[in-house]
Amino acid sequence: MTDAVAASGLGKAFGARQVLQDVSFGVSPGDVVGVLGKNGAGKTTLLEIMLGYTPPTSGGIRVFGHESLEMPGDIKSRIGFVPQQDELLDQLTVRDQLRVIASFYARWDFALIDRLCTEWGVDVNARIKGMSVGERQKLSILLAFGHRPELLILDEPVASLDPIARRQFLEQLLAISADGQRAIVFSSHIVSDIERLANRIWILKDGRLDWQGDLDSLKESIVRLHIRGTGTELPQFRIPGVINVRRDGAFATAVARDWTPEAQRALEKSASVQIEVETLGLEEIFLELHR
Amino acid sequence: MNAVARLVWAYFMGSALTRTLTAIGVVLLGLDVFILLAQPKAGEMLWVGVFGLIALFVGSSWMPLMFARLASSHAARVMPGARAKLLASAFVTVLLVSLPVGIIVPAAVVSDTSGLTEVMRDPAALKYVLKLAAITFTSAMIFAGWMYVVLWMLTSKRSLKGLVGTLILVLLLTLLPVREIRDLSVSTTWNLQQLVVVWTVFGAGFLWWPRVRAGRLRVDQPFGFVNRALSGRTTGREFDVLLGTSNPWLGVMALVVPLLLMTYAVGGASTVWLFFLTIFSTVTGAMSGQVPGRSRALWLRGTWSRATLFSAVERSVWWHNAHVLGALTLVFVGIGLVGGFSVPVLAYGVPLLILGSALSTYLGLAATQGLRWMEIVCAIAVMFAPMLLTSFISNMHASLVLIFALESGLFMLAVLLRHIARRRWMKIDWAVCRPERMMVIRGA
Amino acid sequence: MFILNPQSGIPIYRQILEQVRRMVASGQLPPGTALPSVRDLALRHTINPMTISRAYSILETEGLLERNRGRPMTVASQAKNHTQLPKRLQQIGPLIEQTVVAAKQLQLSETELVKAVRQEWENSDD
Repeated sequence: MTDAVAASGLGKAFGARQVLQDVSFGVSPGDVVGVLGKNGAGKTTLLEIMLGYTPPTSGGIRVFGHESLEMPGDIKSRIGFVPQQDELLDQLTVRDQLRVIASFYARWDFALIDRLCTEWGVDVNARIKGMSVGERQKLSILLAFGHRPELLILDEPVASLDPIARRQFLEQLLAISADGQRAIVFSSHIVSDIERLANRIWILKDGRLDWQGDLDSLKESIVRLHIRGTGTELPQFRIPGVINVRRDGAFATAVARDWTPEAQRALEKSASVQIEVETLGLEEIFLELHR
Repeated sequence: MNAVARLVWAYFMGSALTRTLTAIGVVLLGLDVFILLAQPKAGEMLWVGVFGLIALFVGSSWMPLMFARLASSHAARVMPGARAKLLASAFVTVLLVSLPVGIIVPAAVVSDTSGLTEVMRDPAALKYVLKLAAITFTSAMIFAGWMYVVLWMLTSKRSLKGLVGTLILVLLLTLLPVREIRDLSVSTTWNLQQLVVVWTVFGAGFLWWPRVRAGRLRVDQPFGFVNRALSGRTTGREFDVLLGTSNPWLGVMALVVPLLLMTYAVGGASTVWLFFLTIFSTVTGAMSGQVPGRSRALWLRGTWSRATLFSAVERSVWWHNAHVLGALTLVFVGIGLVGGFSVPVLAYGVPLLILGSALSTYLGLAATQGLRWMEIVCAIAVMFAPMLLTSFISNMHASLVLIFALESGLFMLAVLLRHIARRRWMKIDWAVCRPERMMVIRGA
Repeated sequence: MFILNPQSGIPIYRQILEQVRRMVASGQLPPGTALPSVRDLALRHTINPMTISRAYSILETEGLLERNRGRPMTVASQAKNHTQLPKRLQQIGPLIEQTVVAAKQLQLSETELVKAVRQEWENSDD
């Protein structure tokens, strides 16, 4: 299957500040990509480059086969975007805002949007100026769903939603990606949501893709080792694929990448230690990678 | 008092650029005073001082935006006396910027007439000079206060609705002094009375605003009819709705109503007319300054490339401007014919209207990297250029050829600005051009 | 049917694998039982369907599940037989390892551990 998005060697600098460096990836139809990163790691910039809002300073990116900066109209109509800061017009009502955006697309699923407005509790007659942050976010999400895009990009779409609203949103995203033909890329701080929804994970650290792969492989690759030596002090040893180590007398805790049972047996024998392996959830993995 | 001083210092010395400008301004002004008092018949050197004043004013241009930001910040609500101190700092800034006027204008008069020593000896002359100082100082305070409001309008992200309200307020505040200038009945006492009234009203409103806001004030009621008009007008003009250019009648109303008020107050003084008209054309600049940020919402939603988007946007903005300019021209010509403006004034005033708004429109469109200092300085220059030209036009002794040449110059400048705007749109980077944060504050 | 924890360090597909294998081996899922469809399971637990279909595919190649056209996947009729003793012992292997390690840490002897296991076996007769 041809990639929905393909990027190689992307770099982006704002003046002297290098925000992204050597970022390469591919997004296939059917993928749900969760993008994790500290604030300022470059998530928003990456998403904006994907959409052609901003040009990369190095490298190239193609969306549905076209350069992101020169996407023709029919390609753009297959893309939906929920920005981090909403672009709603305060003086309009919800209905008017929906109508204005709908007018730009040849196909708009009014039935879907009506249903979601009811389910999500969005009052179509309300004026946007008086809406709460959560309501505004829901509306921003709806504006990206209506034309049934094949590539859906969301930048922190649920930051202001309560758990019920978040769950409704997740369910809707799952329904959208159910046919396996659409690609979704979303960045979020709410790691539990990503763990539910994503099959691929990108971890952005200091402008580089520290991890880019399946969520399942990530969880299988990165483990925490609880190392116990005999005696009062641990001997020196080297852990292959180590990310960080903490020693405390006869104990040590280490986080390692691509850990195998063979490596475990070898280390237990060579350093005369006992190793207990703990698997880590996504949030722990993220924290350990940044420790 | 410490806080007030620090605030004022921040306004003038907030960034490297403003520090330089303030320094230049102070130096030029000092130089000018020295020259005027030392040299006889050196009254023309007043121009040095005028440039110094402009530099000083631009150097303080942080004030309106910082004032507005601080006033609406959480800190202002929590710290004791914060609003009062802010208010005081604004007043002090206006004072400091107007003070030089009250020094260099009398100094120029003194230089041109009898020289400083003579004046000091003659009590009548001294009294006159002091009176002149007082009048120019207080008039400058009124004018400067209004200029800061205009500057605030240009640099803050007000919607057109907010612009309307502010414009009307500004006009009501300047109606009276302009009338006095026309009637040559300006006096220090009258100026002082005005200043007291204006600052009391503003101060009271500013200090009591939080309490009013916390009350049952429904913000969308006063302009309800405008909102309804917008609702009805969305079909067919969705592109313009997103850009903010969909309702030209709002702009027309915003300008024509105050103009009619002005005419009633001022009568047929064509100089003042043209003066205010060119100021208003910069309102179009404020609107077009918002367009690059708002066009972000259009990128993914249509077939436009960056180049074709500029053409579409330009068309939309001029559609809006055409309505406003058309109405303004009608009012101008109508009142001109009734009020007896001379034909040259009419002939050169109408193109000046169009040129003024073209200049600010393209300047606004060219602000694709947010409003940085270059853009603000240019905006102020673009505002002053038609104003200066206005004073030439109304001076019947100025050569018509010169006026024509200057207007042609403005036209070429507008073409140049359009070219610059077009080139910038080819590479517009929406990562730095967002609707909310049009003001890029470096080192903040 | 399944207890799935998306926040666990164990990938969801592996959780499903272990639970299905255990339930088939213990007879909780007799041959012919229909499993929930990938879509139903995904919606009920609000998780990505790809991880579920991955588990189902693996179970199908293992011979535990069989695909029926147009209908949900069912437990294969040969399923129980496929789970020979070595395989079943392999299933419980990690638990035994954990228990032994813990017992050694607590300095229990082999006899004491076996005695405790026997006691638990007798007490937990349903």
